Amino acid sequence: MNDETKKKIKEKYEAALQKGERFWPDSIYKDLLVSFALFILLIGLASFIGVHPEPKVDLTDTSYIPRPEWYFLFLFEFLKYFPGNLEWVGAAVIPGILVVALIFLPLYDKNPSRHYSKRKFAVGLMSFIVVGMVFLTIKATLTTPPQEESLVANSIAEKMSLGQDLYSIQCVECHGPDGYGGEVVGVEGLEGTIIKPINSQDEMYTRNDDSLMSIISYGQPNLGMVPFGGAYGGELSSSEIEYIVTFMRYTWDDRAEVPADAVTSAIPALAEGEVPSYEVHISALVKRQCLSCHREGKENNNYLMDTYAGILSGGNSAPNVVAGDMNSNLLQLIQGHELTSSDGTLIHVMPPNGKPIKDEYIDMFIRWVEAGMPETAAEATALSGE
Amino acid sequence: MWKKIYIWLDERLGFDDMYKMLLDRPEPHGNWWNTLGSASLFLFIMQGVTGIFLTVYYTPSPDHAYDSVQYIMNGVAFGWLIRGIHHWGATLMVLVVFIHMLRVFFSASYKYPRELTWMVGSLLFLLTLGMGFTGYLLPFNQRAYWATVVGTNIGGVVPGVGPFILKALRGGTDVSALTLSRFFSIHIWMLPATLAGSIGLHLYLIMRHGESAHPTLDD
Amino acid sequence: MASNRISRRDFVKVTTAALGSIMTVAMGIPVIGYLIDPALKTESGEAWIPLGPLENFPIGTPTPFSFTRSNINGWEKTVNSYGGFVIRESDTDLVVLSSVCTHLGCTVYWLEDKQQYECPCHGAHFTAEGEVIDGPPPRPLDEFEYRIEGDALSILFKKG
Repeated sequence: MNDETKKKIKEKYEAALQKGERFWPDSIYKDLLVSFALFILLIGLASFIGVHPEPKVDLTDTSYIPRPEWYFLFLFEFLKYFPGNLEWVGAAVIPGILVVALIFLPLYDKNPSRHYSKRKFAVGLMSFIVVGMVFLTIKATLTTPPQEESLVANSIAEKMSLGQDLYSIQCVECHGPDGYGGEVVGVEGLEGTIIKPINSQDEMYTRNDDSLMSIISYGQPNLGMVPFGGAYGGELSSSEIEYIVTFMRYTWDDRAEVPADAVTSAIPALAEGEVPSYEVHISALVKRQCLSCHREGKENNNYLMDTYAGILSGGNSAPNVVAGDMNSNLLQLIQGHELTSSDGTLIHVMPPNGKPIKDEYIDMFIRWVEAGMPETAAEATALSGE
Repeated sequence: MWKKIYIWLDERLGFDDMYKMLLDRPEPHGNWWNTLGSASLFLFIMQGVTGIFLTVYYTPSPDHAYDSVQYIMNGVAFGWLIRGIHHWGATLMVLVVFIHMLRVFFSASYKYPRELTWMVGSLLFLLTLGMGFTGYLLPFNQRAYWATVVGTNIGGVVPGVGPFILKALRGGTDVSALTLSRFFSIHIWMLPATLAGSIGLHLYLIMRHGESAHPTLDD
Repeated sequence: MASNRISRRDFVKVTTAALGSIMTVAMGIPVIGYLIDPALKTESGEAWIPLGPLENFPIGTPTPFSFTRSNINGWEKTVNSYGGFVIRESDTDLVVLSSVCTHLGCTVYWLEDKQQYECPCHGAHFTAEGEVIDGPPPRPLDEFEYRIEGDALSILFKKG
């Protein structure tokens, strides 16, 4: 570029300044309005959308689909077009060239014109790149399979509660609802084994959280305990094992200060004359007392209790509960009366380990069946009003 | 009293000169697209402020990073707001800086005499992306961890020096405590310092050459 | 035109000041709350700590004991150790003292030859019953409430 052109550009700029405005207050005013709008937008996004909760790092979770932050998605997608031996072209060479081209753009773009009508090639190329990036980003978003949502506990109280849920499903059959252990009944391969208490001071004082987590994860093969960690063929992720240990620690360790917001009982107590609902009471009760066997993949006479419909109509000897019928199978069994089904097989007392569930829980089931087995809390309130 | 203090300070700081130099500058007639640069600066400041406050509770270690972020979100008053702003601010900042760059490109403002302004500016864009990449790992959740595994692997495919780049990025062969602490250091010290310096240079260049005028048909 | 220009300037000034203050306040208040939040949380709680059978604590001489409590600080579980002395004067009459110096919280120890507690930080001394002999502590050593059930001694631990 020669001095002549440079001079011309400067003169023109001077002319533009003459007709122009002042930085203060004209430009600043607009800048401020835009920044303020962004500020409001940020507060709004933080308040109403928030940050999506993600589970803790778990190297054993093989189902996790890695995805970068959205503004790197185009690069991520771009790499799909390169076969393995040429990957370095897409990952390093092309982005590298683009970055260098971007930085040094003013040095090789010798076209002195500024208006877009005289820069057709430059404008066209940049538009193509931008459209390409947008296209790749959209394509990557659309082709990303939905991530499996997992439970994320936000506080120690929530960890305890999730941990208790998991404990009630995974551990109770052998260790009992409160960790006392005792004789195992109804677990294949461990029938009759005596299990020592895991809620004792000894156990809690001598094993720290890490060692408890390892035990749950690896199991104790010599003692018959199977591994529960996902890495060793179990069902639990490392976060889930952590929740169980949190539950154990804060429930059984007398040195632990239980956080103030911890829920003391996951099963809400019933007031006098209150009708329990599936939503609030029965589902919580079933989760703690029945679900460890009455779920998919266990021997349970096909009676799956994980849904409202399942409780009402599932099972080989269905129906197990009938609204208003005090002789319903379920009520009989939990009260310790053995039954014979229509084909003559014996149905065992529930729970099978010979330790009946607490009277207040039996009462809760009875009152629920008696009232007609309402599903939602609203239905139950309507029934108790009558 | 206040007047005395003002005069004393003005004598030494020179408010008037500052006003003339920084604020009372002539500019060509601008439009709303011209606000994107200052919007980027505003977002940078917001990220700086919220980021500084996040470090009050955040702990960069694999054992504590996740739990400390959970604590910020649920245990500390307004922690959700500070982190929310930082999280969304990152997204907005990348977007605004990118659109700002496109605006400069399409109005050809990078041409004489503003070549260097563009070069510093594109460096700022890359630094912003670097902030996004390093900041992404810090909550140390599943998403962060795996994105970093994949992201650093991309650096590892460069022929010849790939394994070296990979180890330099990760601080070893695995994404580990070393990766987390070096990303933390890069995210809160190195990149912000470089960004702040480059922003200073960028702004100086803008003041020196003035904001560019919108191109007309005869440009 | 001139007056118009000035009024526009004033308008912009006022808007700038107003929006600036709104943003400062909208960020400032949450940030202050965020910073001082731990100071606003109250921690309280009490528990009976078993110290074992009475016969472990011989009559006449202060016998040290210690116990731990775990506590959640933020996301971290902190296990704190506490200690003290049981001074048994007769079968049922006893004093349980905390070993935390009432001056600045150092741990005092028992000097058998002088029959005194000494604080290692500022050289204060206490009698076997916890009264200040010399040095800066403002008050005697703190006492734990205790109860004896059958043969077992427990003390009441209070926090906050």
